[in-house]
Parts: sequence; C-alpha cells; structure tokens
Amino acid sequence: MTSPHDGAHTPGSPGGRTAAGATSQGDVEPTSAGPAHPAEPAPSTLHDLEEAVHQLEAEAEHRPPPAGLGTNLVVAAVVVILGAAALLGSMSLGAGSAGNPGPGTWPMIISVVLVVLGIGLVVTARSTSDAERFSGSTWLVLAGLATMVVFVALISVIGFEIPAALLAFVWLRFLGRESWRSSIVTSLCVVVAFYVVFVAALSVPIPHLF
Amino acid sequence: MTVLVGYVPTPEGEAAYGAALDEAQRRGEPLVLLNSPRSGAPVSADVAPEDTVREMTTRAQASGVELQVRQTPHTGEIADEVLRVAQETDASVIVIGLRKRSPVGKLIMGSSAQRILLDADRPVLAVKP
Amino acid sequence: MDLAPVLDGFTVVLEPTNLLYCLIGVVIGMLVGVLPGLGPAATIAILLPITFGVEAVTAIIMLAGIFYGAQYGGTITSVLLRLPGEASSVVTVFDGHALARQGKAGTALGIAAIGSFIGGTVSILALTFLAPLVAGFALDFGPPEYTALALLGILLVATVSSGSRLKAVIAAAIGLLLATVGRDAFTGGERFTFGNLSLADGLDFVPIAMGLFGLGEILYNLEERHTAVHAPATVANVWPSRKDLRQSSGSIGRGSVLGFVLGILPGGGATLSSLAAYAMEKKRSKTPERFGHGAVEGVAGPETANNAAATSSFIPLLTLGIPANATMAVIFGALLIQGVSPGPQLVTQEPELFWGVVNSLYIGNILLLIMSIPLVGLFVKILRVRPAILAPITVLITLVGVYTVNNDVFDIVLVIVFGALGYLMKKLGFDPGPLVLAFVLGTLLEDSLRRSLLIFDGDATEFFARPISGILLVLFLLVALLPPVRSAIVRRRTTSTETRTKELV
Repeated sequence: MTSPHDGAHTPGSPGGRTAAGATSQGDVEPTSAGPAHPAEPAPSTLHDLEEAVHQLEAEAEHRPPPAGLGTNLVVAAVVVILGAAALLGSMSLGAGSAGNPGPGTWPMIISVVLVVLGIGLVVTARSTSDAERFSGSTWLVLAGLATMVVFVALISVIGFEIPAALLAFVWLRFLGRESWRSSIVTSLCVVVAFYVVFVAALSVPIPHLF
Repeated sequence: MTVLVGYVPTPEGEAAYGAALDEAQRRGEPLVLLNSPRSGAPVSADVAPEDTVREMTTRAQASGVELQVRQTPHTGEIADEVLRVAQETDASVIVIGLRKRSPVGKLIMGSSAQRILLDADRPVLAVKP
Repeated sequence: MDLAPVLDGFTVVLEPTNLLYCLIGVVIGMLVGVLPGLGPAATIAILLPITFGVEAVTAIIMLAGIFYGAQYGGTITSVLLRLPGEASSVVTVFDGHALARQGKAGTALGIAAIGSFIGGTVSILALTFLAPLVAGFALDFGPPEYTALALLGILLVATVSSGSRLKAVIAAAIGLLLATVGRDAFTGGERFTFGNLSLADGLDFVPIAMGLFGLGEILYNLEERHTAVHAPATVANVWPSRKDLRQSSGSIGRGSVLGFVLGILPGGGATLSSLAAYAMEKKRSKTPERFGHGAVEGVAGPETANNAAATSSFIPLLTLGIPANATMAVIFGALLIQGVSPGPQLVTQEPELFWGVVNSLYIGNILLLIMSIPLVGLFVKILRVRPAILAPITVLITLVGVYTVNNDVFDIVLVIVFGALGYLMKKLGFDPGPLVLAFVLGTLLEDSLRRSLLIFDGDATEFFARPISGILLVLFLLVALLPPVRSAIVRRRTTSTETRTKELV
C-alpha cells in the first residue's frame, strides 16, 4: 500500500490489538499523542478509526522505526537550501514586478514559499515522526539503484540484454534471496521475453546486441 | 530428543505425519511439526490451514504424543531449514514425505528431499503415501 | 438535456477495441488491488507508454478501469487474509475479515461486490447529469478563476492527503518549481536548464510520473519486512443472504452519496470516503457493538463509498481540468500526451472522448461485478507469487517502457533520478502525489497568474473583486491558515486547562 503515515502516528505505538481482529474503539476519549486531544470537544470517532487503520497498516508492512532529530534537521536544511538556490536562480532570471511579471517572478514566489516552509520543518523537527530511519535495509535500496545506474550506463554500449539480465539476477538473488538456480533461470527467461516482446514484436529501437 | 516431521498439506505430508506420529509414540518422544512456508509471498500453498493444525493436534493428543507446531516462515532452501530445526530440537529422527520426481524435474527444480537425505547428520525416515 | 452525445458515447464504448481495453484495465486494476506493493497510481504511471499507441478514448478507458478496478481488488485480500491490498480497503478488514472467520467470506465479498457496483453506478448517473452543468458554468472562467481554482486544488490535495500537511505542501512547491524548468512561454527565455539540451523543452511528465510513482514505490517496498504467510483461503458460500442484503441496503445508499460527495473534493478520494462511511455506519447503528465482529454494514458502507468516490473523482478532471488526486493527475498527464487539453471545453469540443470515458465507467462496473466472484480463487493463487520475482520484472518494464516514449536514453536517466527522489520522499514522509499534481498544473497556474496580473495591471486585489475567484481565494486562505491557527488555539486551551488543574490540586 502506498498511504504515507500520519504526522502524529508513531509506528509501533501503544494500543493492544488481538489477533482475532481490530477492536475499533468507538467513542472512547482518545489518548494518543498530540497537543490537540485532551481539550478536543468533538467525539473523533473518525480519528480513532484512523489510528486503528494506521496500526493495521503498520502491522502489515513492518517498516523501519521513525527517524531521529538529526535526519529531520538535515531534511529541513535541504529544503531551505533548495528554496534559497531557486530564489537566487529566479532573481537572476529577472524578477520583474507585479504589474510586469518576468520569467523569474513565478519561480521567485515559489522559492520564497519553499524557504518559509523549510524553516517550518526546522521548527517542527523535534516532533516529526513520519520519516523513517535509514537502517540496514537501506543498503538493499542502494543496491537496487546501483543496478539501474549500471543498466542505463551500459545500455548504449552493449545493448539491453546483458544489463537487463544482470539487473534481474541481482534483484532476484541478492534482494529477493531466491536460489542461485532459479535466479539465473528466471533472469534468462525475463530477458528472452523482453526481447520477443520489444524487439521482435514491437520493433522498438532499443539498443540490442543480438 | 524429539521426532521432527517436515509437513506440507499434501498426501506426502499426510503420510509423513502419520509415520512420525507412530515413531514418536514408539520412542516416547515429543513430536515437532515443521510447516515452514517460504517467506515473501502473502499466500503460500505450503501453509497448513488452521483446521488442519487443529485436527493434527487432536490426533496427537489421542495418541498420547506431545505435539509442537512450528509455522514460522524461512528464507532460502527448505532443506536447510529442516536440518537447522533438527539440530535445534535435537531430533533423533527426521521424517519426510517423498514425491516422485522425473530426472528433468529434479534437474531444474532440485529435490529438497534428496538434499535432506544426503546432508542430514541423523537418521531420516522417508515415507511414501 | 440533450441525450444524443450520451448515447453516442455508448457507441464508442461498445467498439471492440475499447471494450477490450476496458476489460484489460479492469483486470489489471483488480490484480493491482490484490497484490501488495504497487498501487493504481504507480501502475497507471508505468503503463503510460502504452497509451501512445492507441487513441485517447481507448487509453483513458483502460486507465480508468485500472483505477476503479483496484478499489475492488483490495477487498479480496482484506476479507480473506486480513491484508489490506489498497489503502481504501483497510477499513474492510475490520468486519470483512471477521465475517470470513465466521465462515462467511462469500457474504462479505458478495456484499462488497454489490455495494461497489451500486455505488459506482449511482456515482456515474450523478456524474452524467452534473458534469455538463459544471462544465457549462465553468466556460465563463477566465484566467483569474483558473488561478484561484488551480491554487485551491493543489492546496486541498496537499492538505487533505494523509501525511504531514507541511511536507505535502513542500512537495507541491517542488512540483511547481519543476514545472518552470524549460522555456518560458511568455518571453521564450530558458529557465533552470543548466545548458542541457534535453531540458530545454522542459521536463517530460512521463519519466517523472513513472519514476516517482513506479520506481519510487518499488524501491520503497524493498525495505518492507515480510508479512505473515497465510494458507490459501477457500470461499464457501458465495452469495449474501436476503437478510444480509436488506440489512446493508441503508449503508449502501448512504455510502453512495457520501462517497460521491467526498470523491469530488480534491484530496478527498476513496480512502477518506471508506473511513467516513465506516464511522457513519457505526454511529448510526443501534447496535454499534457488532462492528468489528462481522457487521455487514461495516463492509457494505465503505466498499460502496470507495467505488462511488473513485468514480466521482473524475468530475473535477473532466469538467474543470483540475485533477482531484494523484491518480487523476497521472491521467491528466496521459490526456496531455494525447494532445487533449482537459477543461470545461472538453464536454463540447470532444464529446466522443468525454462520453466515451464516462460511459466506459458503466461498462467497467458491470464487468467488475460479473468477474469479481468467479475470479477470487484465481487471485488468491496469484498471491502465491513472491514479490521478489515481480519486482525486477516491473523495474525492467519501467526502464524499457520509458525508453519507448522518445527513444531517448536520457529519459531512462530521468526516470532513475525521479525513482530515487520518489524513494527518498516516501521514506522521509513526503507524499509524491502533490508533487505530480502541482507539476501538471504548474504551467496552467503560472500562465493564468501572469495573464491575470496583466489584466489587472499588477493589482492583485482585483482577484477578490471578481466573485468566483474571490470566493475561491477566500476558501484557499481558509484552508491554508485554519489548521495551524486551530492547533495554536487548542494548544493554548490545553495549557490553561492544565494550569487550572494544577491550581485545584
């Protein structure tokens, strides 16, 4: 599933759930984190429901724990720097004015907004819990990205067949922990299938060796 | 000292379970049932459904055998998992079900039974349905 | 109302090619809903290259089928395995799986199928009558109205999307920035191209969508630890009883209306409506303690609502040219690729496309209803495929697919860059949806803004002088400023309560 986590939700937050099925908490006063809740007059059944939903998703997906303050600050800094860089770039394009907008006017407005929001991120960095920690599993992602980079680097030189087979093999064997035998066999089958579909049937002019 | 049976919900697995139950009864040892699916996919045909597990537990109780069911998923080869659990539970015998495989089938897909038979460091009881 | 174009639309849909693509879309949609990992937005993005070879109508029919098909597919795993396949099917787990444990999986699936069908049909009917009205009304829109509308749409999607509001708006801002890369429409000067020839024409939508949604999601899923493995489920009684149907009729009715309304709102969508429908059913029920233990209303309401919402979320796109959620943004992009400009003029200028797509929703819904129950067994079998095998295949389809768009290796580089960005965004809590949405609307927004400023001679307060843009902008300010103000007020109320309690003690 793709729904990102709610800002106030910590994966693995308290709340017992039996294996037999969720117990939706009805109109009980919510006790979860967040400054708003103790004084909130409205019943928030919907909120309880959202909490139960997030818990179910977290159980199904088992993601890494939330990131620490350092990561949040770095993210905020990146946003601010990006905004500032865009601001400088747009000013050099010609800021113009309200009556006579130039090419840099609109990017400038956005950049300012971006810088302001980035500062907002810095301010809320301590209470941010929807980012994930970079853990051991992140190496898998880096490996996956590396195979894609190798693919695009080699494709113009030696055609798509070998890089594709390599990519498939690495994903199957190392990222998917399949056996050697089935990884090799599947990789070869995949490349053959792609060849038949894209080169033979559709005549796509993709660089190919054979 | 336990009896370890590798189980899947197939006739071979059923036969293995029956034989393992007899063995455990004969030796007076507890029976460890290993029903470990390959981790990854959400659904696996190898997992024994709940009512099957319940039924097997009842059968074990009727025979006076203490049954331990392990259904945690594994990564890699099932043969390695069986041998690992055999080591962990100090199994005095491993019971597995045998399925007929053609030579080509064995070449492409491999035979976990064959690997268990060849790599085990304790007696293996291979049963046919 | 002139029914002729509506009926012509049916002629378009019933052409064999379009029927076939509708079927393909619905089946792929159900598959995507069943399989954990890719969602409908990612799948539609990855399949964008296919839309190049077919007609606009055919392409959109297929993509639409994927979207509402996925709403149903997610139900299957929710009910049978307690594994929500789609975000909009999560609520169905509570009562749907409880029913399955009571041996009534067929009841749950049947009610869900019927509810989905009715919800979708009600939504389509309302769409048929409402859409031309809205489009007609919007024909009077000028640049100021479009500016306000685009701003409001982007903000609503960013605000109502699940996840940190602040980060979603940041994502939208980045999307707007990316839209400025390339040649400036007004002056012809190059912006942010860094001398790169490939960037001179601007960033292409397709690699961005495929990278952010497709590759980004696959990379993100690599870090997911594996969930529990279930035995393949058997579905015994395949049809709900008359009593169940009668009990759910109210929830189906309410779910349809609620879903329709929430789907139109930018940012609303299927997930929110399924949650709201569940909460509403529980509140209305005289026996709320049944919920969570197998109440049919708990399945009927949300399932009806999410299909109704999925259908009605087409309205803003087809009538105003404003996508209501991330998936609609990708479909917006698909329309642009085909050379079709979505907007109020679509109804009158391209009636075959408009009514062809709308009427395909009827057909697709019928197909879903027919296929849903028989295919359940097949889908459970498909779940046995390990995601580790599907992942590299999907990656290669994406990498090779993006190449077929322009036969340019640079596009592959782009898709990988945006794939990495998409991964980082999801990892760090930024929803990539608002970015894509803002990107597709960015050019329109800037265009309208500059035209408006030229009309107003630089006087921005003129926006409020015009009634429609004024109202929209006031709404925009409300939506933007209300939440932080509200939490600030509540925080102050909390501290005053706490100090009072301390004093009492």
